[in-house]
Amino acid sequence: MSRVLVAMSGGVDSSVAAAILVDEGHEVIGVTMKTFCYSDIPTHGKTCCGLDGIMDAKRVASSLGIAHYVFDVEEDFTRDVIDDFVSEYARGRTPNPCVRCNSNTKFRDLLARGKALGCDRIATGHYVRIAHTAGETSLLRGLDDAKDQSYFLWGLPPEILPRLLFPVGDLTKAEVREQARTLELATAEKPESQEICFVPTGDYRDLLRKRLGPVHPALEPGQIVRSDGTVMGQHRGFAGFTVGQRRGLGGGFPEPMFVLAVRPETREVVVGTREELFGASVAVRELNWLTAAPSPGDEVTVQLRYRAPTVTATVVDVGDDLKLALSAAQPAITPGQSAVVFDGLRVLGGGRIA
Amino acid sequence: MSNVYLDHAATTPLREDVLAAMEPYLSATFGNPSSSHRWGQAAAAALEDARARLATAIGASPSEVRFVRGGTESDNLALIGGVRAMAKTNPPRTPIVLVSAIEHSAVLEPAEWLHKRAEAEMRVIPVAIDGTLDLLSVSMDLAARPFLASVMWANNETGLLLPIDHVVSWAKELGGIVHTDASQAVGKVRIDVAESGVDLLTATGHKLGGPRGCGVLYVQAGVEVEPLIFGGGQERSLRPGTEDVAGAVGLAEAIHLAVADLAVAGARMAAVRDRLQARLVAQIPGLRVNCADGQLAPHVLSLGIPEVIDGAAFLMALDLEGVAASGGSACHSGAMAGSHVIAALYGTDDPLATVRLSVCRGTTEADVDRGAEVVTAVWHRLRSNA
Repeated sequence: MSRVLVAMSGGVDSSVAAAILVDEGHEVIGVTMKTFCYSDIPTHGKTCCGLDGIMDAKRVASSLGIAHYVFDVEEDFTRDVIDDFVSEYARGRTPNPCVRCNSNTKFRDLLARGKALGCDRIATGHYVRIAHTAGETSLLRGLDDAKDQSYFLWGLPPEILPRLLFPVGDLTKAEVREQARTLELATAEKPESQEICFVPTGDYRDLLRKRLGPVHPALEPGQIVRSDGTVMGQHRGFAGFTVGQRRGLGGGFPEPMFVLAVRPETREVVVGTREELFGASVAVRELNWLTAAPSPGDEVTVQLRYRAPTVTATVVDVGDDLKLALSAAQPAITPGQSAVVFDGLRVLGGGRIA
Repeated sequence: MSNVYLDHAATTPLREDVLAAMEPYLSATFGNPSSSHRWGQAAAAALEDARARLATAIGASPSEVRFVRGGTESDNLALIGGVRAMAKTNPPRTPIVLVSAIEHSAVLEPAEWLHKRAEAEMRVIPVAIDGTLDLLSVSMDLAARPFLASVMWANNETGLLLPIDHVVSWAKELGGIVHTDASQAVGKVRIDVAESGVDLLTATGHKLGGPRGCGVLYVQAGVEVEPLIFGGGQERSLRPGTEDVAGAVGLAEAIHLAVADLAVAGARMAAVRDRLQARLVAQIPGLRVNCADGQLAPHVLSLGIPEVIDGAAFLMALDLEGVAASGGSACHSGAMAGSHVIAALYGTDDPLATVRLSVCRGTTEADVDRGAEVVTAVWHRLRSNA
């Protein structure tokens, strides 16, 4: 058995991941990432990775009899994740910070530190699986379709896949909870973290105001318009809107209105009916492939939002960017969100929606 | 292989003789020292015995010793309470609080807080790597204003001893008062508060086999300090709240015992520390012993390790091999941030990774030999990784 570095957020999934590895006889070292300064962003226990998360991870590690350390990645995290988050919103897009963290910060740091600590394997509590077949290692969706987290992991460098372990990927969430209870882990009853770790209140606009300054075009009032240019009202900053959103548009419309697009250059928020929200093609950039890239004409499936169902698509073009024709039009295809491409359960790769 | 704890500057295990001295006050002699009945009388007597014992050990009068809840509280009380007392007696001028650049955060943060709230003007005294203080650069119009200078006796991260006598004579000439955080110095180097002339001194017991959670603030007779909390007259109203008799007894006993055998134990600690240093210097080319040109407390060895990019990983690797060390001071979250002390002494772009190894009275030659072996082995591994 090998020495494994396991990233413990202080949540139940990574706690059980660590417990499984211990049970399998690995020499396990737990680590928690300190991603931001706790006095800058007050946390209330609703997210992972906060100070409470560190303390919970320490308790679990101690009960499992393993070492536990804190990796301070604040500087990298601020640059690669928080700054990107803010600038994407400022450009009228809707970022996936967890994807950025996995692609740029978390696994990179785990690998570097793991090497220094003599660990040949890295493990996390993500609901995904690794499959080794004839010289190739693939990333697969988690067994529990309701919990699958492959959407967040398309950005990993492919060469690291052989070194990764995802011990809860073969389990359902219910089974993970059950194991945590059986082992009496301190985190067994901890609720799911729903919010972005550095936005514990769920209102990211406070963070944008803090980091963009009080006067920024993304936070200035602008017009709410229909696709034909008809002015429907005013908004108080386009950074507060994401494609598909209904809230915050004001009332008085003859039928429900949804955000169709955000136009940062004119500060307009474009709204329309539910029918107008659908699109049948998607352009994806900043691609990363975990396997060989697909070819034009290939049929794949694609997931356009976390927890959205996958949809069949045909590859129209692939190079620096990827163009897909969807077999059925999808609602709220949102610039900045990830588009993750699958062949069945296997993650081929992904990118950011243009 | 056996594990070796070389982080005694962070904390130490409770000495058995100290525990034995405390034990009666954790159970049988449990009274509240403020109570008039015999239970209270017994507790009060123990508390005052402890106060007298501690006073003797540091050269103070018993009435100058205030028990508080730890070194951090003592530092906060000295700075905030000291400055507020000054502001009271000198209403027209904002006091100045001067701190050395390498103070513990328990001194730096209250000073910054006072500055932010405009209760005092904060000035930072530059420190050279040999411990020389640049007092001239912070002396402007000090004679005309009330001031409190807080300069630690021994630095916690490097062991560097600062010239307290020099600070005292400088401050007295200009009419200010002096606080010193002696948490790392008591029981490690000779301290006589009366002889030193300091007005306020902070000490704690858990760096030398005493219990955690109790500390002391020495307040020279005639020096005023405002309390920070209220609710009873204990400790001459400076630190109200029912006294921790067992803690005070343990603290006094630990300091008393450490001071009693200081001559022998100090030389012993210095000898094992020097042995550790010699082994590492011989085995790691380019190793820097921090503040080697200064006077050092006998228990701390602070190293600048070459060719190591990730100092935090170095410490984790040492721990995995069974050696406890630290990067600087311990942080609550357990994360290891860059040291402000090393930055102040060697610059913010210092390329070396900081590792602090610290010994105690009981540390053996075998312990430090094992420590040196592990540090060297980890250095070879991480260096090749870099």
